[in-house]
Amino acid sequence: MSLSTAIENSDLPSRRHEDWRWTDLRGLIRTVPPVSPVFFDVIKSSGPFEGQANAELIIANGRQNWWPGKDAETVEFFEHDAPDNPYDRASLPMAAIAADHAIEPRASIIQFNGDDAASVRFVSATDGTSHHARLGVVVKAGVSAVLLESHEGRGDRYLANTLIEIFLEEGAKLERIVLADDAAEAVAVTTAIVKVAAGATFNQTVLTGGARRQRIETHVAHPGAHAQVRLDGIYLLNAQRHADQTTVVTHGGVDGVTTQLTKGMVADQARGVFQGRIIVAEGADQTDARMGHHALILSDRAEIDAKPELLIFADDVSCAHGNTIGALDEEAVFYARQRGIPELEARAMLTQAFVGEVVERIEHDGAREIAAAWVAKQLGRSEEGGAE
Amino acid sequence: MAAVKETIDTVAALEKYEHGFTTDIDQEFAPKGLSEDIVRFISAKKDEPEWMLEWRLEAYRRWLELEEPDWAKVSYPKIDYQDTYYYAAPKTKEGPKSLDEVDPELLAVYEKLGIPLKEQAVLAGVEGAPRYAVDAVFDSVSVVTTFKKELAQAGVIFCSMSEAIREHPKLVRQYLGSVVPTSDNYFACLNSAVFSDGSFVYVPPGVRCPMELSTYFRINAKDSGQFERTLIIADKGAYVSYLEGCTAPMRDENQLHAAVVELVLLDDAEIKYSTVQNWYPGDPETGKGGIYNFVTKRADCRGDRSKVSWTQVETGSAITWKYPSCVLRGEGSSGEFYSIAVTNGHQQADTGTKMIHLGANTKSRIVAKGISAGKSTSTYRGLVSAHPKAKGARNFTQCDSLLIGKTCAAHTVPYIEARNGQSVFEHEATTTRLSDDQLFYCQQRGLSQEEAVALLVNGFVRDVLQQLPMEFAVEAQKLVAISLEGSVG
Repeated sequence: MSLSTAIENSDLPSRRHEDWRWTDLRGLIRTVPPVSPVFFDVIKSSGPFEGQANAELIIANGRQNWWPGKDAETVEFFEHDAPDNPYDRASLPMAAIAADHAIEPRASIIQFNGDDAASVRFVSATDGTSHHARLGVVVKAGVSAVLLESHEGRGDRYLANTLIEIFLEEGAKLERIVLADDAAEAVAVTTAIVKVAAGATFNQTVLTGGARRQRIETHVAHPGAHAQVRLDGIYLLNAQRHADQTTVVTHGGVDGVTTQLTKGMVADQARGVFQGRIIVAEGADQTDARMGHHALILSDRAEIDAKPELLIFADDVSCAHGNTIGALDEEAVFYARQRGIPELEARAMLTQAFVGEVVERIEHDGAREIAAAWVAKQLGRSEEGGAE
Repeated sequence: MAAVKETIDTVAALEKYEHGFTTDIDQEFAPKGLSEDIVRFISAKKDEPEWMLEWRLEAYRRWLELEEPDWAKVSYPKIDYQDTYYYAAPKTKEGPKSLDEVDPELLAVYEKLGIPLKEQAVLAGVEGAPRYAVDAVFDSVSVVTTFKKELAQAGVIFCSMSEAIREHPKLVRQYLGSVVPTSDNYFACLNSAVFSDGSFVYVPPGVRCPMELSTYFRINAKDSGQFERTLIIADKGAYVSYLEGCTAPMRDENQLHAAVVELVLLDDAEIKYSTVQNWYPGDPETGKGGIYNFVTKRADCRGDRSKVSWTQVETGSAITWKYPSCVLRGEGSSGEFYSIAVTNGHQQADTGTKMIHLGANTKSRIVAKGISAGKSTSTYRGLVSAHPKAKGARNFTQCDSLLIGKTCAAHTVPYIEARNGQSVFEHEATTTRLSDDQLFYCQQRGLSQEEAVALLVNGFVRDVLQQLPMEFAVEAQKLVAISLEGSVG
């Protein structure tokens, strides 16, 4: 199915799709935007994770653009015939479109053969155009890797649709840090499909400032078998921005661990969405799954929607989720002001401390510092623009 | 030692579905199937005014345009709505004037169910013992309502819905369908078209209803559906506590129960609504038979500082599809939802609540306990939403699921929509199995495995049981034990 067919058949996800009820694309994309042109200038600029990885892949306007890193033994990059689209249009509509209609005819693959870090930059560089991209990431058995992924909006009003398929072999470890810095009027959907093998570890932290409509979706097939999964997220939104963090973890076997912590803040007329679903299949005993979503609403016109789901088909499990939504503690704000800190700064400081817990969980030192700096910058901007 | 004795008695009383008997009572049926003619037939049978017939017909026409919802986590073969009787009533020449005129077979049924219909019998009991006014609904019609005179002295109207349509048309017209509109959802729409009876309660301003009101619903006839409609209005400053119980005979085919309950609360009013639902759950081994329980219950807190509390113990039905909700419109109004859903055998329950905060400083509290055993599925599905004007809204939600056995499932699907910066929402949920340590401890103390399960489960649901009126709490505790019989080992 192409985007144009989807639009013609009113088949784009909308609030009528249960899993997209808070992130409607149909109402927003009524005509097919032109295909994004080839764009080379981006190689002159640097991404947010500059200096953190030897190898760097740039996918600008959906086209794999540059690979400056030496073809080291630890990280390999190659192209591969794109496999057929395995995704169901009903459950993964945007991933299905990306799989069928990626601009590049062949799929780009990053393969970690040894411990290393690589950065991938998805750059949307032009106004009012659209592109679909597909990337594969393979972490070989026993290898510990870091994937620093940025989504950079240089243009505006674009439609960027990205599909990332990640395979962790036995005992492999991957830490994926996603920094999504999309443009205010952009529509961006990123779907990651993660397959984890026995004894592997997948850790993820998504940091986002939202877009006109933005969805970052992660599906993890968890084998149990002492594999560990951590899915964290931070969203800091102002103006009329929208960010949707959706995760689905399916525990298929015994002895699996999943922990999730997402924190967010919305100001002005922004809207934050969190949908977390943990499925424990029949027989996936001794599963330990914990999910937390905590968010602050700083304005009466902002909105937060949350759906933390547990679907359990096995009895010997321990699963829990917690969800809290509220305003900043006025007593804490008062205390800070009493100590001479101006109100706006006090609020930014408290919010920073609130989401700091998620930042602290990032293992890669460089990425953690960059994340902390991003939070500070985002809050500064939010507080200036977000006056009530 | 009293507690120990009580536990032993409870366990001793364990038995299979004890309300599964059928009663051979002369019944009057409408022809099978649903059409405008059937709707007219029901309305004519009830001797209803023209406006009521129009209301029903409008609902029926809307129903034809609606599609049966499929989003709940329940699966069942497609229902043939033309293969059901929409009206079945015990045959009586005229309406009974007193209990003496009621078919003795029927009274025997209620006696078997342990429902005291005879006022004398109740009054002859220990002085100071709690008294209930009972409205008994058998298949489609209300059989008898007790204590009417005493209630009338206090100004409380408690009667069957058909009587209310005749005697109090102004009140019925004003409020019927104002909380759950005819076109609200597929099953509510069906109910609006064909409902045959139910209870009507009006508590005037400032009156505290002098006794608990209670309705017992009993499905008896084969192939028939039960569609009752309950409307309770608590005027300014009024208070009423209402209990509802349901049972059905054991049959191999599925029977449909689609009820609508509407609660209206004006300023400072309070309604406490408790349900012990024990419809026939179907055969535990084969899953054959059982009631399809598709119910729409909603409370509209229109008045400031009004308060509504739903308490439900759901142990029966093959399928439960039920979300008692609170629309918190009045400033400072509050809603509570306490639920125990026990599923065993092949039962499927998708139940929960909606707390819709529209007014400022509204509060809500949800405590839901789900217990699944056998091959059953239990889902908590709930919505908490706060409108931009609902400043100072506050919600606390706790959903716990307990799994007993390898083949059951428990799901938690909460929706939270916060739309203003001055509300606080807290939600927590856990899913665990019955602890081996605790079971071992109980068995070591001489309890059998089944006794131990019943004891631990009753501990798990304690928070909710405490919200039930005394007599119901005892019954509910026993029910929970019965429902879980044979679930371990």
